[in-house]
Amino acid sequence: MRFPSLVENEMLKIAKQRRFRVVVLILVALIGLIVYGSFRARERFHEKNWHVEAQERMAWLQGRIRDSRTPPTALRWFRFELARLQYHLDRDLDPDAISGPLFARAFANHASYLLLPLLAIVFASDIVSAEFAQGTIKLLLTRPVGRAWVLASKLAALMLAITLTVLLGGLVAYLFGGVAFGYRGWDAPILTGFRANGQGVDPSSIRALALWKDAVLAYGLAWFASLCVGAIALLTSVVLRSTAAAMGTMVAALIAGSIVPRLAPSWEAQKFLFVTALPLPDYYSGSPPPIPGLTVGFAVAVLAAWAAAAVAAAFWIFTRRDVLA
Amino acid sequence: MSVNGASASSATGQVVLSASNLTKRFGRREAVADVSFDVRSGEVFGFLGPNGAGKTTTIRMLVGLARPDRGSVRIRGLDLASHFEEAMAHVGCIVEAPDLYRYLTGRENLLHFARMLDSGAEGRIEELAALVALSERLDDRVSTYSLGMRQRLGIAQALLGNPDILILDEPANGLDPAGIREIRHLVRSLARERGISVFVSSHLLSEIELMCDRVAIIHRGRTLAAAPVADLLARVSSDRLLVRAVPAARAAEVIGRFGEVEPVQGVGDDRDAADATNRQALEISARVPPERVPELLRALVAAGLDVHSIERPEASLEDIFLEVTGGQTV
Repeated sequence: MRFPSLVENEMLKIAKQRRFRVVVLILVALIGLIVYGSFRARERFHEKNWHVEAQERMAWLQGRIRDSRTPPTALRWFRFELARLQYHLDRDLDPDAISGPLFARAFANHASYLLLPLLAIVFASDIVSAEFAQGTIKLLLTRPVGRAWVLASKLAALMLAITLTVLLGGLVAYLFGGVAFGYRGWDAPILTGFRANGQGVDPSSIRALALWKDAVLAYGLAWFASLCVGAIALLTSVVLRSTAAAMGTMVAALIAGSIVPRLAPSWEAQKFLFVTALPLPDYYSGSPPPIPGLTVGFAVAVLAAWAAAAVAAAFWIFTRRDVLA
Repeated sequence: MSVNGASASSATGQVVLSASNLTKRFGRREAVADVSFDVRSGEVFGFLGPNGAGKTTTIRMLVGLARPDRGSVRIRGLDLASHFEEAMAHVGCIVEAPDLYRYLTGRENLLHFARMLDSGAEGRIEELAALVALSERLDDRVSTYSLGMRQRLGIAQALLGNPDILILDEPANGLDPAGIREIRHLVRSLARERGISVFVSSHLLSEIELMCDRVAIIHRGRTLAAAPVADLLARVSSDRLLVRAVPAARAAEVIGRFGEVEPVQGVGDDRDAADATNRQALEISARVPPERVPELLRALVAAGLDVHSIERPEASLEDIFLEVTGGQTV
């Protein structure tokens, strides 16, 4: 038995089913809609001469940087802003306008807590239960391949499918965003790492970063969050053996996860829920955490713990349970 | 059919599949209790029982889908529970229905299952497709196949790993007579020409009779010792005869000279009904050995009786089971 062949089998089944095409279609249609919407919104606001305005701002910034009375924390910010404006002027880009790369970067944040996990659920909730529904589980588990290997191959294929979905999402967001807002600007400097301290934003944690590096990080986090959701959905698929039930359970959990922080913001224990941990890119890029103590590192740890427990439980059940009519 | 010859040669054959004391409980109900049998190399082994007798539960334990609460399964001497992968390498099976991936083509299905085997299985796809007469439809989606075609594709799939034993659960279910004939022919030729042992379950005695060398009967979760099909048929009420003739009372008298007449159904001590036997053609059940039937017919006609019908009823599985166990209810 060759494990890569088993994964190939599972990938073949994912690719040949209609749901894969549906996921691609959802991504393309949704991103197209968002791009169109932001494009129309921008048209109304940006008709000014940004070249002149940017040059005026740069002159003002240069003056403040030379001024010895400027405090050092502000100096850092002014230098960054000056470099940012210079970058955009050099490339003839509007510094205040959205660019294709910026749109793609922003998509990571917005997609990480609902859209991408949802698509992960579409794949995962069906990957074991469909074999039960079709009756093919009886063949799959009577071949000279241990049950643990069968499930491992499904898990690997699921991870692959989710990875492809996240990549595809980023790619489509960039392509569509590029059509509307231009394709250039990947190495524009941006600020990241905003972190709240007692009084306000802690300036020492802020860093300037090329946009592409920031985007890779954000997509990496969105990918990790989707993988963990996929692992949890795999468990529901194994336990419930019904695609509809598994999908319903997971979608309900996701929706509850987006409601709970708003309804009960003071409930601190919710930071241990996997759904609260999902918007990893938001936590990373510095939105104020909804619950004290919920940092990127903490959220990653929470998700990893949930995923590991779910995978362990899925294997335990899958390798032991009788397959009956 | 050379049932006797086949069973005689297989009696000395090696044991390929051995079930011992298989027991499975669902809650307090014992679905399968103490089921034991051996399947020998090259024989077609029938597993006969009415629906709900525990056939499918037994088969699920044979192929590792369900764990027995007690007892064990050995395939080529390998214990299924502890050596699942090595043991299942010798098995091809269809459990319940030939469920394959309907959104894949026949070829894709075979490739899928070939990839789960050790070596060379992909190279056998064409040959097996030809064997089950599916070569021309191999690149069509399985969703366009008829049940018979899916059953044949399922058999091709089961044969991919060059198994020593083929386990087929009710292969005749849902097939038309032509389809049943094809499957039967295929099963017999697999056993005869390739030396593959075949384990076939069915709820139809006629099916088992035509296909199998030996048979085990399962009834309410329990089995009897496996016996050659011919022996079983010989033991089971083979001399029972049903005659409809008017007037019945005189007919019974004539028949009584050839064999023991059993009490007429529904008559009992009822006077009116006994009266009716003279007017109506009631069924008379009697034990008449086959070689005396022509003589009996001539006697009935000579006595001036109107013979409406004469038949040998097929014993129900329940009858067979009771007959073989000597009437003890299990």
